[in-house]
Amino acid sequence: MDSLTFLVENREIIKLFYGLLIGLICFVIVSRVDKLFRLSLHQGIRYFRNAFVFYGIAFIVRYVFGYLIYFSYISWDYFNAVTLIFKYFLIMAGFFLLYSLIWKKIENQKENYRSSLLNPRIVIFYAMSFLIIFLDYFWKTHHFIFISQIILFTITSGISLSNFVRGKKSHKFLKFYFIIMILSLMAWILNSIAALFEWNPIIIMTVSGINVITFLLFLYGVFGATRLR
Amino acid sequence: MAKKRERLEVIRDILKVIQNSRSIKPTRLLYASNLSPQMFKDYVDELLNKKFVKSEENEGKKTFSLTKKGQDFLMEYKVIENFVDNFGL
Repeated sequence: MDSLTFLVENREIIKLFYGLLIGLICFVIVSRVDKLFRLSLHQGIRYFRNAFVFYGIAFIVRYVFGYLIYFSYISWDYFNAVTLIFKYFLIMAGFFLLYSLIWKKIENQKENYRSSLLNPRIVIFYAMSFLIIFLDYFWKTHHFIFISQIILFTITSGISLSNFVRGKKSHKFLKFYFIIMILSLMAWILNSIAALFEWNPIIIMTVSGINVITFLLFLYGVFGATRLR
Repeated sequence: MAKKRERLEVIRDILKVIQNSRSIKPTRLLYASNLSPQMFKDYVDELLNKKFVKSEENEGKKTFSLTKKGQDFLMEYKVIENFVDNFGL
């Protein structure tokens, strides 16, 4: 049995471990970043933390519940709901990541919202996420999430490139941040290509591999930036 | 020309002035912080809201002093600054 056959035959258990691994990485990032936020009350740190709360929930819901549904521990009737929740949290996480990079240009000091989950700016993201998953659901497609994420990661790639060019000498992780954004963009482009080829397993595995690398790079960055502690 | 101070640097500078004086009058803090009166008010309001600083009144005179939260912020400032700069936040 070659390795591809092995992976395809055991894909459900591999997907479960993949979801749990990304969920665990997100949990570690959130707990580390949350400590910094509580100390500084810095809004950028807050939105960055929220991005990983949403990524963590998205991956755990999709892959743990997906596993339970696949092996009939839970009814297949819930599969659509799981997919919708996964998409919603994934889109919101992307918005939080983008907003953590641009909040300084948008919010002024006086706004200083008590909640980073429910404030007038974030409500716009909730509405946009809802619209995207509604359109996907209505047209029975994934085009809208793919297009939205490709646009979003193109913008974050541009911002992180500009941050890298301005601060490359003193802040080494800015280079990795830019690489992570490019990898995420590649993952979403490949994901949309996979959808055109009936979810080709090789492309999907490549996307999963890229995702694991991006989350590990984020983890590396968080540990690196907080090790002065 | 001197580089414009980043928000976090301004907060650190204000907190350091308060820490060094233990308790300081608003006018002295305004001079030491090197900010315009309006900017100073915004920053002090923010620091009071975040409970980094507390305001006390003794015999009709208002003073500012550092809270435990403000002291913790100063101790971990380098880590916070490093994180914010490395992630472009």
